[in-house]
Amino acid sequence: MKFLLYALLALAVVPFQTTLLHYVSILGVRPDLGLVAACLVGFLGGELDGLILGLILGCFQDMLSAGDLWINVVTKGGAGFLAGLAGRHMAHITPAVLTVGLVIISCLSSGVFLYAMNPAGIDEIWMGVRSTVLVQAAFDAALGAGLYLIFRRRWSDDRMVTDGAL
Amino acid sequence: MAISRSTYGTRRLAIVLFALLLVALFLLPSQSQGLLQYLGGPLGQILSLPLAAFSSLDRGISETWDGYIALQGVREENRLLRREIELLQGQNNQLRNSVAATLRYETLLNFKQQSSSRTVAAQVIGRDATNWYRGVILNKGENDGVRAEMGVVTPAGVVGRIVKTNSASSVVLLVTDPNNAIAGLVQRTRDEGIVEGTSHGRARLKYIPLLSRVQPGDRVVTSGLTGAFPRGLAVGGLTQVEKSEGDLFQSAEIEPEVDLSKLDEVLVITAPYEDAEAAQKLLQEIHGDRKRP
Repeated sequence: MKFLLYALLALAVVPFQTTLLHYVSILGVRPDLGLVAACLVGFLGGELDGLILGLILGCFQDMLSAGDLWINVVTKGGAGFLAGLAGRHMAHITPAVLTVGLVIISCLSSGVFLYAMNPAGIDEIWMGVRSTVLVQAAFDAALGAGLYLIFRRRWSDDRMVTDGAL
Repeated sequence: MAISRSTYGTRRLAIVLFALLLVALFLLPSQSQGLLQYLGGPLGQILSLPLAAFSSLDRGISETWDGYIALQGVREENRLLRREIELLQGQNNQLRNSVAATLRYETLLNFKQQSSSRTVAAQVIGRDATNWYRGVILNKGENDGVRAEMGVVTPAGVVGRIVKTNSASSVVLLVTDPNNAIAGLVQRTRDEGIVEGTSHGRARLKYIPLLSRVQPGDRVVTSGLTGAFPRGLAVGGLTQVEKSEGDLFQSAEIEPEVDLSKLDEVLVITAPYEDAEAAQKLLQEIHGDRKRP
């Protein structure tokens, strides 16, 4: 059931990312919704959930991207897994912690892309970092923290209802 | 307790499978790509449905946005006749959109009829899923005869080449992407080179002979030496020529002919030369060029 839910989420997120997200791009860079979704699910649901959703999202993203067929599968799967590991070792997840975590994971994921692009020299690496890696990391972190703030209340309400029932 | 052990086992299995996937990708890259491409076929069919839905939503949003901007001015001009003007403006806007679309289709059709290539018309429905590649997604795929490595053009010139296909859509790598390379030719001097994208979103003609007298303003066209494009399609104009001391070749920056940020409809070249006669004509043209001093 959860797998189906993740597949449906991926079917909504990836087409949304490719068709509508250009309206909110800053400096030509869009947030990576797939990465944010995999990380949020990883942080809150554990590394297995993060990994599974990341792999599904990555697979769909690879089909709609000009890059090699492995790159999104590996980065999104890895991001979800890392987020899950980080989330399991934290007592309290706050928006600030989530923001820092997303910045780090987004930078690591973009680092894989930068490596795969075979940059010609340090100038191209620096340009990639400045023009895409940092902007996308900031964008992903802001979006992730925003989504967490929006849904946090609902999640905590659900938890309270469950705790109360027990 | 049993649930916890089972979750732990599943987690361990998932991690092992992920590790195996990574090992397979690094040790057998081409086989893994082939397998992933094979698995992607049916997934592409499923993915095309929400993609089409979001694409139509995208068109709806842009049309509504255009209409809103147009109506803002009208409302300021005359508040009393606002409702009537809104109605008329809305109709006018729809008609303008229809006229613009008809003109675009007409240009595309004229180009298609004049071209010696066999082409398939396609619509741009999205952009690359990541920020790292300059690519667009087309609504035509393998079911329409579109295959990887085919060239993509508009009446204005070269757009890029297909790099990935599935049953209902395909991904085009634009001419401005650094991973793209197309055989080009300077129209005036007939010097050949390779057109590659740059990280600044432009293109560059590389490997121009050192003695060539290319200059800013010269037009670059496809040379027809690679399979994707026929000879003579516009790529862009040279803006800056670089010749460094000690280098074996010159290079020049190209301003692409096509505005790649505003792509709507494109043609995919399924066969650069429709018949053997056209191919023969091209060969004669090439031989003629080579004999010329």
